[in-house]
Amino acid sequence: MSFANTIRRRLILLVFVVFGVSVVTFVISHMIPGDPARMMAGERATNETVAHIRAELGLDKSIPVQYVTYVRGLLHGDFGISIRTQRPVIDDILLFFPATIELAIAALLLAIILGIPLGVLSAVAKDKAVDQVSRTISVTGISTPAFWLGLLLIYVFYGRLGILPGSGRIASDIPPPHTVTGFYTIDALIAGNGRAFVSALLHLILPALTLGFVHLGIVTRQIRSAMLEVLQEDYIRTARASGISRVRIVFHYALRNALIPSVTMIGLAFGDLLYGAVLTETVFAWPGMGNYVVQSITALDFPAIMGFTVVASTAYVLLNMLVDLLYMFLDPQIREVG
Amino acid sequence: MNRMLRGVLAAGIVGLGAISATLLAPVPAQATQPDELVIGKSGDPDTLDPAVTVTNNSWTATYPAYERLLKFKVVDGKGSTEVEGDVAKSWSASDDGKTWTFVLGDGHVFADGTPLNAAAVKFSFDRVIKVGKGPGDLFGQVASVEAPDDHTVKFTLKAAFAPFLATLVDDGASIVNPKVMEHEVNGDMGQAYLSDHTMGSGPYQVASWEKSQQIVMTPNPHWTGNLAFKQIVIRIIKEASARRLQLEKGDLDLIEDVPVDQLKALGAAPGVKVVDEPSFFVTYLYLNNTHKPLDNVKVRQAISYAVDYKGIIDGILLGQGVQMRGDVPVGLWGHDDSVMQYNYDPDKAKALLAEAGVKDLTLGYLYAKTDPNWENIGLVLQQNLAPLGIKVEMQENAYPTMRDKLNKGDFDIAAGNWTPDYADPQMFMNFWFDSKLHGLPGNRAFYTNPKVDELIRAAEIAPTEEARVKLYDEAQKITVEEAPYVLLFQRNYQFAMRDNVKGFVYNAMQLQIYNFATMSKGS
Repeated sequence: MSFANTIRRRLILLVFVVFGVSVVTFVISHMIPGDPARMMAGERATNETVAHIRAELGLDKSIPVQYVTYVRGLLHGDFGISIRTQRPVIDDILLFFPATIELAIAALLLAIILGIPLGVLSAVAKDKAVDQVSRTISVTGISTPAFWLGLLLIYVFYGRLGILPGSGRIASDIPPPHTVTGFYTIDALIAGNGRAFVSALLHLILPALTLGFVHLGIVTRQIRSAMLEVLQEDYIRTARASGISRVRIVFHYALRNALIPSVTMIGLAFGDLLYGAVLTETVFAWPGMGNYVVQSITALDFPAIMGFTVVASTAYVLLNMLVDLLYMFLDPQIREVG
Repeated sequence: MNRMLRGVLAAGIVGLGAISATLLAPVPAQATQPDELVIGKSGDPDTLDPAVTVTNNSWTATYPAYERLLKFKVVDGKGSTEVEGDVAKSWSASDDGKTWTFVLGDGHVFADGTPLNAAAVKFSFDRVIKVGKGPGDLFGQVASVEAPDDHTVKFTLKAAFAPFLATLVDDGASIVNPKVMEHEVNGDMGQAYLSDHTMGSGPYQVASWEKSQQIVMTPNPHWTGNLAFKQIVIRIIKEASARRLQLEKGDLDLIEDVPVDQLKALGAAPGVKVVDEPSFFVTYLYLNNTHKPLDNVKVRQAISYAVDYKGIIDGILLGQGVQMRGDVPVGLWGHDDSVMQYNYDPDKAKALLAEAGVKDLTLGYLYAKTDPNWENIGLVLQQNLAPLGIKVEMQENAYPTMRDKLNKGDFDIAAGNWTPDYADPQMFMNFWFDSKLHGLPGNRAFYTNPKVDELIRAAEIAPTEEARVKLYDEAQKITVEEAPYVLLFQRNYQFAMRDNVKGFVYNAMQLQIYNFATMSKGS
């Protein structure tokens, strides 16, 4: 199958997935007992006030009618108005989603940049000291709860050493850079604002480490076991017998094959990071989607919950498409057979 | 491929290097300036429109941004529940209590330079009533507002309503610049604009709000008093330990929501002081008076005698509260110190239950995680009622679901909190016991007693405070005796600040509201 075909099929699939997810979310969130109008009016509001708000929000209509209205708006790019913040949902999403993605990318980069070399080293020097250290790191990474690690890092690097900020995305006395991508680091670079860039980068380190540590452990282990398996293969023995250098064998022949299963895992990890950022965001007062969604759910803010679901499921499907394309790129067999 | 992999490795090394380099690089200092006040809050406000928001968490920003007709008097450096003029310099009421006339003082100017006049007051009350959200309920008795001249505002009420003056201090009574109508979209009376802007005549206005990060407030250029702070920064830091650490390091001047188990340690930290004051925040249990056998007064009394109040206050609140006596909390006028208080008396409880002929009973206990104390209270209740042969089933629900069940009366026992919107015993007596308010609006025990209805409704319109207190006292004797609720405790309110923050005035009616205009910072 060609790249173009894969993309086309995935995009068609995307429409169905998003439609399905949106119907399910819409129905579930409207079936939960509880009244967003009452959440908004305050708990002692009179029944008349609640009824007034229900009518204003269109909540007095039947669920199918509400859904059709919602989808009609969605097709025009209108995500509705958040019940809780009274702002257009799309504005809130554009505000909070980039923060989460920036954090997730930073966490993933950390996991890959540190995890792949660690995994390779670990496999090559199996059972030696390096391997033990790397395995300790990965087991610790997998088993450390993020909120605990986050607090520990804050305590050490902000509280004791005072070398890194403990919360937020940027120092409070530096105005955030003009929004282009929504990533503070990149926007600061675009604006040529060095001070903002350094501050944004420094603020990113601890939360990215906290969020990425689990995946660092997973990547390391995955690469290690895949490498160990590949290094047993006949063609590696052949290569070794032909006198090819060890470094070349490891990196040229072994790692490429060992990477293939890891690509899927890393792709899924990114989705996981997007969803799993809630705790990290809480600990570091990171203004991302996690907090926003939790607050929206507590307030039964349907438009916000729906908006997040639609955007997140779209991102997830696109991500999977990217993984498949990468797969095809790495493994010619998939291209030919698929 | 080889090149690519070498690239990856090289990137790894560069990455490691970059991380160690940034670890060693100095961080720009974030310590607060002498002319700014930096507050650490656990959550973002929802909206800043005083006609929409009903949460104290938003009032931190809205209250100082607006002025109101009246304000709370400060007596001996403490906030009281008595009112005095703010924008209004005097007022009078007609004999039938239905018409209230206010005379406005001079010198109140909105931040854009527009003078605050009677028309602006009329506009603001018309707006909050027309918008019809939560704060509108405060003014349900207002039939019309008129502004015969620039300095006079006349309110006509549908019926006499004694707490009327008290409602004018509430955030919902904030006076909004009528120019907000220039920002109106789709007939929303400026709701979208005011959701993240302020247009008031108060000392500080919201200059910027980076959602979930920080709100910066700067002085109203037309404010006539001297302001010590050039800016107020409200930072959103959800995690309690992170807020505490930043306060201890001096990066924050004041933090809210300090967990009780951290108060002691925080109080001992150098440079930090803990504000610990009684509040009107009460925690109580709703007994569903329409469910058998809770409709039997003896069963309700038995439960009230079976609860270990001291154990709950010492064990769960770590002593930071007092057991309630009567329905009106201590500190609020109308509190009656002579009214009967239930004590922990398991024998009496057993006897009452035997008299009622009830045994082998199972009751559900409805709660949510919203208030972490509720679960613990349920566990104590379970233990306390077990010897009576009452089995308590813990029923945890999501908060919106819990509220739905409360409103429908779909529970046996439920946990709840209550704080008054305005300083008047009516907020407790009428809301809790009026049979017209069954469900969430206030009477959550679904209690009905025509005699009590008569007394509290008379108290709501009686002309003098003395007459009203008398009626409420009489009603309270009945309600305490009939025990529709289990009156647990009145909680202390705590937060912490740096010890160089001066001039803060605590008012139990104004939790999370600060008198920025008269606060300052020493060295």
